[in-house]
Amino acid sequence: MTQTGPIVHPTLHAERPVEPLLKVSGLSVAYGRIRAVDGVDLAVEPGRIVSLVGSNGAGKTTTLMALSGLLPLAAGKVEFAGEDITGLAPELRVGRGIAHVPERRRVFAGMSVRENLVLGAYSRGDAIEIAGDIERLTALFPILGKRMHQAAGTLSGGEQQMLAIARGLMSRPQLLIMDEPTMGLAPQMIDLILDTVLEIRKLGTTVLLVEQNAVEAIRLSDHVYIMRLGRIVHEDGGANIDPERVKAFYMGVDA
Amino acid sequence: MDYFGQLLANGLVLGAIYALTAVAFTLVYGVVRLVNFAFGELFMLGAFLTTSLMLPEVRLLGTVVPMPGFPLPIAALGAIVVTGIIGVVVDRIAYRPLRNAPRLAPLITSIAVSVVLQSLAQTIWGAEELRFPQFYLATLEPVVLFDSIYLSVMDLVVMATAIVAMLGLSLFIARSSLGRAMRASAEDQTAAMLVGIPVNRVVAAAFAIGSGFAALAGLLYAQTYGFAHSSMGFLPGLKALTAAVLGGIGSVPGAALGGLILGLVEALGAGYLPNGTAWKDAISFVLLVGLLYLRPQGLLGRPELNSAGRGSLLGGASSAGVGWLQAVFARFDALLTRGAAAGTPAAFGLLAVAVVVGLMVPSDYWLRILTMVVIYGMLASGLNVIVGFAGLLDLGFVAFWAVGSYLTSILFVLVLKDGYGIAPQEVWWLLYLNLPLAGLLAAGFAVLLGTPTLKLRGDYLAIMTLGFGEIVRVVAINWMDLTNGPMGIRGIPAPNLFGISLGSPRAQFFFALALAVVVVFAVARLVRSYVGRAWVAIREDEEAAEAMGVPTARYKLYAYAASGFVGGFVGVFYAHSQQYISPLNFSLFENILLLMLVVLGGLGTFIGPFVGALIWIAFLQLALDLPFVQAYPETRFALLGVVLIVLMVFRPQGLAASARVGLTMPGARAKEAA
Repeated sequence: MTQTGPIVHPTLHAERPVEPLLKVSGLSVAYGRIRAVDGVDLAVEPGRIVSLVGSNGAGKTTTLMALSGLLPLAAGKVEFAGEDITGLAPELRVGRGIAHVPERRRVFAGMSVRENLVLGAYSRGDAIEIAGDIERLTALFPILGKRMHQAAGTLSGGEQQMLAIARGLMSRPQLLIMDEPTMGLAPQMIDLILDTVLEIRKLGTTVLLVEQNAVEAIRLSDHVYIMRLGRIVHEDGGANIDPERVKAFYMGVDA
Repeated sequence: MDYFGQLLANGLVLGAIYALTAVAFTLVYGVVRLVNFAFGELFMLGAFLTTSLMLPEVRLLGTVVPMPGFPLPIAALGAIVVTGIIGVVVDRIAYRPLRNAPRLAPLITSIAVSVVLQSLAQTIWGAEELRFPQFYLATLEPVVLFDSIYLSVMDLVVMATAIVAMLGLSLFIARSSLGRAMRASAEDQTAAMLVGIPVNRVVAAAFAIGSGFAALAGLLYAQTYGFAHSSMGFLPGLKALTAAVLGGIGSVPGAALGGLILGLVEALGAGYLPNGTAWKDAISFVLLVGLLYLRPQGLLGRPELNSAGRGSLLGGASSAGVGWLQAVFARFDALLTRGAAAGTPAAFGLLAVAVVVGLMVPSDYWLRILTMVVIYGMLASGLNVIVGFAGLLDLGFVAFWAVGSYLTSILFVLVLKDGYGIAPQEVWWLLYLNLPLAGLLAAGFAVLLGTPTLKLRGDYLAIMTLGFGEIVRVVAINWMDLTNGPMGIRGIPAPNLFGISLGSPRAQFFFALALAVVVVFAVARLVRSYVGRAWVAIREDEEAAEAMGVPTARYKLYAYAASGFVGGFVGVFYAHSQQYISPLNFSLFENILLLMLVVLGGLGTFIGPFVGALIWIAFLQLALDLPFVQAYPETRFALLGVVLIVLMVFRPQGLAASARVGLTMPGARAKEAA
């Protein structure tokens, strides 16, 4: 399946009547004296694909790492499903329903594909349903089924990315955070991964996506935030954003 | 055959004990990349707790306390659980705050924890051996295999326990959910957190299991040899670390294999080599050094672990903790930075103060103490060259010190006086010849020992240098013809100049001060030259230094040579000042003490080693007035350990971190200020 136009859910796109699943206000992160992220406000409504785009060093990955608790906040508040999770330890956020597929995949290279998937469900108490979930995910990523007992480090880059996504989905998250899922992949693989993002949304999981590949990201997103130098400089529905303007942002020219 | 069979049996028992302890090292290293030197002491605690729980009563802190008198299995279980809990507490206090700190910090705290536990155990259980009680299984008839090998029932129990425990652990790691979480945390802690693994708790579990294994090994050791003692964990701990490295650190089967090999080699070596029992400790370390040279990753290890480094030993400061404490450290740091910036005038000022103090102090007693401060300060300066400036953790520095001390003592006493009947006064000038000669000899030694370590980094380097230090000590004890063995060498003449004796405490103090001026001047010249800049580059980032074209191997050898020269040079004066030396003066503990002094005073600064020595030796004397310390003198070492742990936890980059950078790169600070 290849998508041509922007995917817009007319009902969701209207006036934002829905309570956001993830609400971030005034988020700031500092590395020493440098503020890498400065006062970011974000809202992710349930059932949507929201993306965060911007050039290198804009603070996208830092924002995501702060959202999953890997970096301490200098200021700001993170609410998820109506609850304040600002100070919550990263491993506990998984149990609340946030899964983070990190930059550069970071699969457990020495362990088998199956073990990686089982570990993805670490936060869940229902051990019985894990086998069923693995089966469902191999339907989504057939190649993983064939590689089930191979060490994850022997997989190709694209296969590792699929494994990382599948591992994230094993926790049955409400929100899947994906950091640069297409980085360093071959063009066909990029299409495949981006199609998967749509598929995941169809299955009922909300997606927060960071992509270098802004044109593609805007095409499949319901809502887009554009970051520059640690701040949100522009936001709009995916359909309303002109990729050419984004390019201007990338070049550092104010459009 | 009889003899061989018996040695084989001894080797298997010893190997089982080493293997169990090696598992502790390997498990924790695998998960957090930390060599927890304190496992030797947890081994000792396991032995003491078991023995105490089995006895009807025990003397604790000098008073007789009634004990439950449990049978062995229950006492063992209790000891393992308690030691496991202690292991978790140690991790929580001394290691967890340092997960992202520079690599030297947790190594220092683990050594400090060792010192604290050992001196606490000595305080609680006393300096005497605690005898392991008789129990039923030990009274059974031995089993005879092939008509010749006598194995006691307990020997069989030891081996069976080791096999069951290690198979159980392997299964646990491979199959259980917690085991899987451990492997995941070992591979990538961030990714582990992101899938919902509570990494801190997993690490605590690894510490609990590792400490339990160490306790099990310790109690089996106490049972086999019939006693528990506060220093009993030291050598088996080192051997077990050796076994873990031998097998490939991070691998449980590797630890089992390494322990087995070490136990067998030691038992057979002790039985077949001439005078083997005396040399058996050296055998293990020779094996270690040889293996690290040929196959640094160990027999079953994965090569990438050898690099064992997230960056440099000292760099990447991260400070945590209470505000006021940080402010205190920051102020001290600023003071040192200003001192370093003041440079030569400040150095002359300090020298003037030292001279005035040397002239004014009336008592010989305090002059002797001040002389020790200067000697330890100089030795620490020598160690500082390699650790503080080049960033290579060296646990074998005492060997260079020993070379200098022995050279001059052997020449003066054993050769000239005893051999040719020449009185020391007639050859007083030999001392002044020996100073540079011993320096050169020790530097040669240092290069010889440094060459095989060039491939190694971080923790592995520390382990290999530690092996060298131990080999030199064992040689000093056992090569009777050369060194007089454990009796040491007596009657070393006091320094003498043109027939005028410099034996008085005041003269010795000024002699030491003069040498210190030479040492500090030489080190400062070296550090401020292109050699010093290369060292600092290696310290801050070895890969980057190499990429920038610094021939790292050559400059590392220069660092070893310079450090060795200082060690040998000062060693000569040390021997003449003490007038008696023995192998006990050059133990690993002395090396650790010197390292602690450098860290205390500020790594990579010129004045730091002397500040550390002054603080420590003044503290040793002043603490003698405390009633608690008078009753339990060992607690002084525990206090030093506690001070270092606090220092490292709240200031992992060490004192004088900014002074360190300012020393060699004055421009960097000026730019920052602008």
